[in-house]
Amino acid sequence: MRTSHSVRQRPSVNMAGVGFRRWAQALCRGNGSGISALVSGCRAASGVSKGSLPGPYPTTPEEKAAAAKKYNMTVEDYEPYPNKGEGYGDYPNLPERSQHERDPWYQWDHPDLRRNWGEPIHWDFDMYIRNRVDTSPSPVSWSSMCKQLFGFIGFMLFMFYLGEKFPSYQPVAAKQYPYNDLYLEKGGDPEKEPEEVKHYEI
Amino acid sequence: MGAHLARRYITETDTEPDPARKYEFDPQLGFDERKEREMVANQEQMNLAQLPLEQRDYCAHHLLKLMKCKRDNWPNFLACKHERHDWDYCEHQDYVMRMKEYERERRLQLRKKRIEAQAEAA
Repeated sequence: MRTSHSVRQRPSVNMAGVGFRRWAQALCRGNGSGISALVSGCRAASGVSKGSLPGPYPTTPEEKAAAAKKYNMTVEDYEPYPNKGEGYGDYPNLPERSQHERDPWYQWDHPDLRRNWGEPIHWDFDMYIRNRVDTSPSPVSWSSMCKQLFGFIGFMLFMFYLGEKFPSYQPVAAKQYPYNDLYLEKGGDPEKEPEEVKHYEI
Repeated sequence: MGAHLARRYITETDTEPDPARKYEFDPQLGFDERKEREMVANQEQMNLAQLPLEQRDYCAHHLLKLMKCKRDNWPNFLACKHERHDWDYCEHQDYVMRMKEYERERRLQLRKKRIEAQAEAA
């Protein structure tokens, strides 16, 4: 007769708890330091790689070429900011043009930003987005616009001034009111005698 | 329409009456006797009706009749045509009197100027 084994029921295990234990063990064993050790033993591929961060101002042509390659630009286009100690390093000095000026009909990778993947980002890119500063040229020249606006405002102010100096009115006398020009109704002193104002028919 | 403005600002700047200034001639000048304007509504009535100051003129009694008629006949807003016409006609006559007063002042000014010119010529 076969002895029936009772199937040994494993007690149900909380898998999260297992993972936590293994993590704690790795932490004690691990040789990383600081927060990178706490978070993960390896980094994701989406992180910044060491060579892609901006560096110091390039002086030699080789450094310039390397910097241009780093920023995905041709060597002819690449031009760093002048080295005045302002902290730009080798970041490219791109023209100060906002995204409004870019072709709206071209099929950009990011249509809202009007930018392709990998394109060098302007230092003030967050200012030049389409919701913000717009450097596109005005339809008429600036001087012409100023002349038109201030000319109009000046003309209107002049005309209002003339209107104050030479007011227009109807050729009628002042309206006549009874009771001595409404002396009491206008807040006159009831004790004092008002000056007599008489009105006649005509 | 506007001839008075041309007179006032361009041609006859010294004789055309200025609406801002008080008229300087004696009201009885040129009349044998002048009837005074009579005020029908008294101050107590106008106060009770809470009339604004601009409407407390010599036509206020017609306005008070109109207000009473409107209040009695609400919601029939077409009911008080007669009272409204009376008030309007009174205001119209008041406006015509104002025009006549202006013209009187203007003619007296011209007359004054003529007299002065004659006196100088003499």
